[in-house]
Amino acid sequence: MAPTLPSGDQASDQDNWDNGRLARKRQLLTEIVLRNRLTALVVDGDTTCRVLEQLLLRSYEVQTQGVDNGRDAVALIASGVKFNLIIIDMILPVLNGLEATRQIRDMGVHCKMLGVTACSGESERQAFLAAGVDVFIEKPLDPEHLVPILRELDGQ
Amino acid sequence: MESKHVHQQIAAMRQSFFDEEVLDEFFSQLEQLEDQNNPNFVEEVFTMYFRDSTTLLETVEQAMKTISITFAKMDKILHQLKGSSASVGAKKVLNEINKTRQVLEKGNLEGTKAGIWEMRKEYESLKAKLEPYFQLKQANSVPQEK
Repeated sequence: MAPTLPSGDQASDQDNWDNGRLARKRQLLTEIVLRNRLTALVVDGDTTCRVLEQLLLRSYEVQTQGVDNGRDAVALIASGVKFNLIIIDMILPVLNGLEATRQIRDMGVHCKMLGVTACSGESERQAFLAAGVDVFIEKPLDPEHLVPILRELDGQ
Repeated sequence: MESKHVHQQIAAMRQSFFDEEVLDEFFSQLEQLEDQNNPNFVEEVFTMYFRDSTTLLETVEQAMKTISITFAKMDKILHQLKGSSASVGAKKVLNEINKTRQVLEKGNLEGTKAGIWEMRKEYESLKAKLEPYFQLKQANSVPQEK
Protein backbone atom coordinates (compact mmCIF):
# COMPACT_ATOMS: atom_id res chain seq x y z
CA MET A 1 0.00 0.00 0.00
CA ALA A 2 1.46 3.38 -0.95
CA PRO A 3 2.33 5.72 1.90
CA THR A 4 -0.32 8.26 2.70
CA LEU A 5 0.36 11.79 3.72
CA PRO A 6 -0.36 12.28 7.41
CA SER A 7 -2.95 14.92 8.22
CA GLY A 8 -2.08 15.83 11.81
CA ASP A 9 -3.88 18.49 13.73
CA GLN A 10 -0.79 19.84 15.47
CA ALA A 11 1.74 20.11 12.64
CA SER A 12 0.86 21.83 9.39
CA ASP A 13 0.24 19.69 6.36
CA GLN A 14 3.29 21.26 4.74
CA ASP A 15 5.41 20.14 7.73
CA ASN A 16 3.98 16.66 7.55
CA TRP A 17 4.56 16.47 3.81
CA ASP A 18 8.18 17.63 4.21
CA ASN A 19 8.82 15.29 7.15
CA GLY A 20 7.24 12.37 5.36
CA ARG A 21 9.29 13.02 2.27
CA LEU A 22 12.47 13.42 4.28
CA ALA A 23 11.75 10.23 6.21
CA ARG A 24 11.24 8.30 3.01
CA LYS A 25 14.45 9.73 1.57
CA ARG A 26 16.38 8.85 4.73
CA GLN A 27 14.98 5.36 4.57
CA LEU A 28 16.24 5.04 1.04
CA LEU A 29 19.67 6.54 1.71
CA THR A 30 20.39 4.78 4.99
CA GLU A 31 19.95 1.45 3.34
CA ILE A 32 23.63 1.57 2.51
CA VAL A 33 26.73 3.66 3.03
CA LEU A 34 29.43 2.75 0.56
CA ARG A 35 33.01 2.64 1.76
CA ASN A 36 34.43 2.58 -1.73
CA ARG A 37 33.72 4.70 -4.76
CA LEU A 38 31.88 2.40 -7.14
CA THR A 39 31.33 3.00 -10.82
CA ALA A 40 28.54 1.78 -13.06
CA LEU A 41 27.62 1.79 -16.72
CA VAL A 42 23.93 1.92 -17.62
CA VAL A 43 23.01 0.66 -21.07
CA ASP A 44 19.39 1.39 -21.96
CA GLY A 45 17.83 2.67 -25.17
CA ASP A 46 14.94 4.27 -23.36
CA THR A 47 15.75 7.73 -21.99
CA THR A 48 13.35 7.57 -19.03
CA CYS A 49 14.66 4.21 -17.86
CA ARG A 50 18.31 5.13 -18.37
CA VAL A 51 17.98 8.43 -16.51
CA LEU A 52 16.10 6.82 -13.63
CA GLU A 53 18.57 3.98 -13.27
CA GLN A 54 21.48 6.40 -13.26
CA LEU A 55 19.77 8.62 -10.69
CA LEU A 56 19.00 5.67 -8.45
CA LEU A 57 22.65 4.63 -8.56
CA ARG A 58 23.80 8.20 -7.92
CA SER A 59 21.55 8.40 -4.88
CA TYR A 60 23.87 5.74 -3.43
CA GLU A 61 26.85 7.79 -4.61
CA VAL A 62 27.77 5.41 -7.39
CA GLN A 63 29.50 7.23 -10.22
CA THR A 64 27.61 6.41 -13.40
CA GLN A 65 27.83 6.69 -17.13
CA GLY A 66 25.01 5.98 -19.56
CA VAL A 67 24.86 4.88 -23.18
CA ASP A 68 21.76 4.26 -25.25
CA ASN A 69 22.82 1.32 -27.42
CA GLY A 70 24.77 -1.91 -27.30
CA ARG A 71 27.44 -0.92 -29.80
CA ASP A 72 28.48 2.14 -27.77
CA ALA A 73 28.57 0.04 -24.62
CA VAL A 74 30.94 -2.48 -26.24
CA ALA A 75 33.08 0.32 -27.68
CA LEU A 76 33.34 2.03 -24.28
CA ILE A 77 34.44 -1.17 -22.57
CA ALA A 78 36.83 -1.96 -25.42
CA SER A 79 38.43 1.47 -24.95
CA GLY A 80 39.56 0.33 -21.52
CA VAL A 81 37.09 2.10 -19.27
CA LYS A 82 36.41 -0.07 -16.26
CA PHE A 83 33.25 -0.33 -14.22
CA ASN A 84 32.34 -2.22 -11.06
CA LEU A 85 28.84 -2.75 -12.39
CA ILE A 86 27.11 -2.83 -15.76
CA ILE A 87 23.36 -2.55 -16.00
CA ILE A 88 22.12 -3.54 -19.42
CA ASP A 89 18.74 -3.90 -21.09
CA MET A 90 18.02 -6.84 -23.36
CA ILE A 91 16.42 -4.98 -26.24
CA LEU A 92 18.73 -2.23 -27.43
CA PRO A 93 19.18 -0.27 -30.63
CA VAL A 94 22.07 -1.02 -33.03
CA LEU A 95 23.42 -4.00 -31.07
CA ASN A 96 21.04 -5.90 -28.81
CA GLY A 97 21.72 -6.54 -25.16
CA LEU A 98 22.34 -10.26 -25.53
CA GLU A 99 25.04 -9.79 -28.14
CA ALA A 100 26.52 -6.79 -26.35
CA THR A 101 26.76 -8.83 -23.16
CA ARG A 102 28.46 -11.71 -24.98
CA GLN A 103 30.98 -9.37 -26.57
CA ILE A 104 31.73 -7.68 -23.25
CA ARG A 105 32.30 -11.03 -21.59
CA ASP A 106 34.41 -12.22 -24.53
CA MET A 107 36.72 -9.29 -23.84
CA GLY A 108 37.46 -10.85 -20.48
CA VAL A 109 35.38 -8.42 -18.47
CA HIS A 110 34.33 -10.06 -15.22
CA CYS A 111 32.52 -7.24 -13.48
CA LYS A 112 28.98 -7.70 -12.16
CA MET A 113 26.41 -7.40 -14.92
CA LEU A 114 22.73 -6.93 -14.25
CA GLY A 115 20.27 -7.59 -17.01
CA VAL A 116 17.47 -5.12 -16.26
CA THR A 117 14.74 -5.52 -18.79
CA ALA A 118 11.01 -5.29 -19.41
CA CYS A 119 11.13 -8.89 -20.62
CA SER A 120 9.60 -11.20 -18.07
CA GLY A 121 9.55 -14.63 -19.70
CA GLU A 122 11.60 -17.54 -18.45
CA SER A 123 13.14 -18.09 -21.90
CA GLU A 124 14.33 -14.47 -21.99
CA ARG A 125 15.73 -14.84 -18.50
CA GLN A 126 17.67 -17.96 -19.42
CA ALA A 127 18.93 -16.39 -22.62
CA PHE A 128 20.20 -13.30 -20.83
CA LEU A 129 21.91 -15.36 -18.14
CA ALA A 130 23.45 -17.61 -20.79
CA ALA A 131 24.76 -14.50 -22.60
CA GLY A 132 26.62 -13.55 -19.45
CA VAL A 133 24.64 -11.38 -17.07
CA ASP A 134 24.92 -12.38 -13.43
CA VAL A 135 21.47 -11.31 -12.37
CA PHE A 136 18.22 -10.90 -14.30
CA ILE A 137 15.88 -8.19 -13.02
CA GLU A 138 12.52 -7.29 -14.47
CA LYS A 139 12.13 -3.50 -14.77
CA PRO A 140 12.03 -1.30 -12.92
CA LEU A 141 15.30 -1.47 -11.03
CA ASP A 142 14.55 -0.91 -7.35
CA PRO A 143 16.58 -0.56 -4.13
CA GLU A 144 15.47 -3.99 -2.96
CA HIS A 145 17.43 -5.62 -5.77
CA LEU A 146 20.16 -3.04 -6.05
CA VAL A 147 21.26 -2.54 -2.44
CA PRO A 148 22.44 -6.14 -1.76
CA ILE A 149 24.43 -6.03 -4.99
CA LEU A 150 26.06 -2.71 -4.06
CA ARG A 151 26.91 -4.10 -0.61
CA GLU A 152 28.51 -7.11 -2.23
CA LEU A 153 30.55 -4.94 -4.59
CA ASP A 154 31.56 -2.74 -1.68
CA GLY A 155 32.80 -5.74 0.23
CA GLN A 156 30.28 -5.34 3.06
CA MET B 1 -5.05 29.16 5.32
CA GLU B 2 -5.26 29.18 1.58
CA SER B 3 -1.82 27.58 1.37
CA LYS B 4 -2.95 24.82 3.77
CA HIS B 5 -5.99 24.19 1.62
CA VAL B 6 -3.89 23.92 -1.53
CA HIS B 7 -1.48 21.49 0.14
CA GLN B 8 -4.43 19.39 1.26
CA GLN B 9 -5.69 19.44 -2.30
CA ILE B 10 -2.27 18.31 -3.62
CA ALA B 11 -2.12 15.55 -1.02
CA ALA B 12 -5.63 14.39 -1.88
CA MET B 13 -4.83 14.36 -5.59
CA ARG B 14 -1.71 12.32 -4.92
CA GLN B 15 -3.56 9.82 -2.76
CA SER B 16 -6.26 9.42 -5.40
CA PHE B 17 -3.62 8.25 -7.90
CA PHE B 18 -2.81 5.32 -5.61
CA ASP B 19 -6.42 4.65 -4.60
CA GLU B 20 -7.47 4.47 -8.25
CA GLU B 21 -4.36 2.37 -9.02
CA VAL B 22 -3.30 4.84 -11.68
CA LEU B 23 0.15 4.82 -10.08
CA ASP B 24 2.02 2.24 -8.03
CA GLU B 25 4.85 2.19 -5.49
CA PHE B 26 7.47 3.03 -8.13
CA PHE B 27 6.03 6.54 -8.25
CA SER B 28 6.88 6.78 -4.54
CA GLN B 29 10.38 5.61 -5.41
CA LEU B 30 10.68 8.52 -7.83
CA GLU B 31 9.52 10.92 -5.14
CA GLN B 32 12.26 9.61 -2.87
CA LEU B 33 14.84 10.70 -5.43
CA GLU B 34 13.54 14.27 -5.33
CA ASP B 35 15.44 16.73 -3.17
CA GLN B 36 16.09 20.42 -2.63
CA ASN B 37 18.59 20.52 -5.49
CA ASN B 38 16.06 19.03 -7.85
CA PRO B 39 12.60 19.85 -6.48
CA ASN B 40 10.78 19.24 -9.78
CA PHE B 41 12.49 15.95 -10.50
CA VAL B 42 9.33 13.85 -10.66
CA GLU B 43 7.67 16.28 -13.02
CA GLU B 44 10.79 16.31 -15.20
CA VAL B 45 10.80 12.53 -15.35
CA PHE B 46 7.17 12.46 -16.38
CA THR B 47 7.79 15.17 -19.00
CA MET B 48 10.46 12.88 -20.47
CA TYR B 49 8.17 9.84 -20.22
CA PHE B 50 5.20 11.59 -21.85
CA ARG B 51 7.37 13.00 -24.63
CA ASP B 52 8.91 9.66 -25.57
CA SER B 53 5.77 7.59 -24.98
CA THR B 54 3.67 9.87 -27.18
CA THR B 55 6.09 9.21 -30.05
CA LEU B 56 6.08 5.45 -29.42
CA LEU B 57 2.29 5.30 -29.21
CA GLU B 58 1.95 7.27 -32.45
CA THR B 59 4.41 4.90 -34.14
CA VAL B 60 2.51 1.82 -33.07
CA GLU B 61 -0.84 3.36 -34.01
CA GLN B 62 0.54 4.23 -37.44
CA ALA B 63 1.89 0.71 -37.83
CA MET B 64 -1.59 -0.68 -37.20
CA LYS B 65 -2.88 1.27 -40.19
CA THR B 66 -0.37 -0.21 -42.64
CA ILE B 67 -1.20 -3.30 -44.63
CA SER B 68 1.85 -5.26 -43.67
CA ILE B 69 2.55 -5.00 -39.99
CA THR B 70 5.78 -6.19 -38.54
CA PHE B 71 4.71 -7.82 -35.33
CA ALA B 72 8.26 -8.03 -34.12
CA LYS B 73 8.71 -4.30 -34.58
CA MET B 74 5.46 -3.58 -32.78
CA ASP B 75 6.43 -5.81 -29.91
CA LYS B 76 9.73 -3.98 -29.65
CA ILE B 77 7.90 -0.68 -29.27
CA LEU B 78 5.47 -2.13 -26.75
CA HIS B 79 8.40 -3.59 -24.86
CA GLN B 80 9.99 -0.16 -24.61
CA LEU B 81 6.71 1.37 -23.47
CA LYS B 82 6.39 -1.37 -20.89
CA GLY B 83 9.80 -0.64 -19.42
CA SER B 84 9.34 3.10 -19.13
CA SER B 85 5.77 2.83 -17.84
CA ALA B 86 6.87 0.35 -15.17
CA SER B 87 9.76 2.61 -14.21
CA VAL B 88 7.55 5.63 -13.51
CA GLY B 89 4.84 3.60 -11.77
CA ALA B 90 2.16 4.07 -14.45
CA LYS B 91 0.21 1.02 -13.32
CA LYS B 92 -2.92 1.15 -15.47
CA VAL B 93 -0.95 1.97 -18.61
CA LEU B 94 1.38 -0.93 -17.83
CA ASN B 95 -1.55 -3.32 -17.38
CA GLU B 96 -2.93 -2.41 -20.81
CA ILE B 97 0.49 -2.80 -22.41
CA ASN B 98 0.86 -6.28 -20.91
CA LYS B 99 -2.60 -7.30 -22.12
CA THR B 100 -1.90 -5.97 -25.61
CA ARG B 101 1.42 -7.79 -25.84
CA GLN B 102 -0.26 -11.06 -24.90
CA VAL B 103 -2.84 -10.57 -27.64
CA LEU B 104 -0.13 -9.56 -30.12
CA GLU B 105 1.83 -12.72 -29.33
CA LYS B 106 -1.17 -14.79 -30.40
CA GLY B 107 -1.24 -12.96 -33.74
CA ASN B 108 -4.65 -11.45 -33.04
CA LEU B 109 -4.64 -8.28 -35.12
CA GLU B 110 -8.05 -6.97 -34.20
CA GLY B 111 -7.42 -7.69 -30.56
CA THR B 112 -4.12 -5.83 -30.79
CA LYS B 113 -5.84 -2.79 -32.29
CA ALA B 114 -8.37 -2.81 -29.48
CA GLY B 115 -5.57 -3.18 -26.96
CA ILE B 116 -3.66 -0.23 -28.37
CA TRP B 117 -6.81 1.86 -28.17
CA GLU B 118 -7.18 0.96 -24.48
CA MET B 119 -3.50 1.76 -23.90
CA ARG B 120 -3.96 5.18 -25.47
CA LYS B 121 -7.04 5.77 -23.31
CA GLU B 122 -5.21 4.97 -20.07
CA TYR B 123 -2.17 6.96 -21.18
CA GLU B 124 -4.25 10.08 -21.91
CA SER B 125 -6.07 9.62 -18.63
CA LEU B 126 -2.75 9.49 -16.77
CA LYS B 127 -1.55 12.67 -18.49
CA ALA B 128 -4.82 14.43 -17.73
CA LYS B 129 -4.51 13.52 -14.04
CA LEU B 130 -0.82 14.26 -13.57
CA GLU B 131 -0.46 17.51 -15.48
CA PRO B 132 -2.73 19.56 -13.18
CA TYR B 133 -1.16 17.85 -10.16
CA PHE B 134 2.35 18.91 -11.18
CA GLN B 135 1.17 22.41 -12.07
CA LEU B 136 -0.42 22.79 -8.65
CA LYS B 137 2.67 21.41 -6.93
CA GLN B 138 5.00 23.69 -8.81
CA ALA B 139 2.83 26.74 -8.23
CA ASN B 140 2.87 26.07 -4.50
CA SER B 141 6.46 25.11 -3.97
CA VAL B 142 8.07 28.36 -5.08
CA PRO B 143 10.25 29.50 -2.14
CA GLN B 144 9.11 32.67 -0.40
CA GLU B 145 11.26 35.72 -1.02
CA LYS B 146 13.00 36.69 2.21
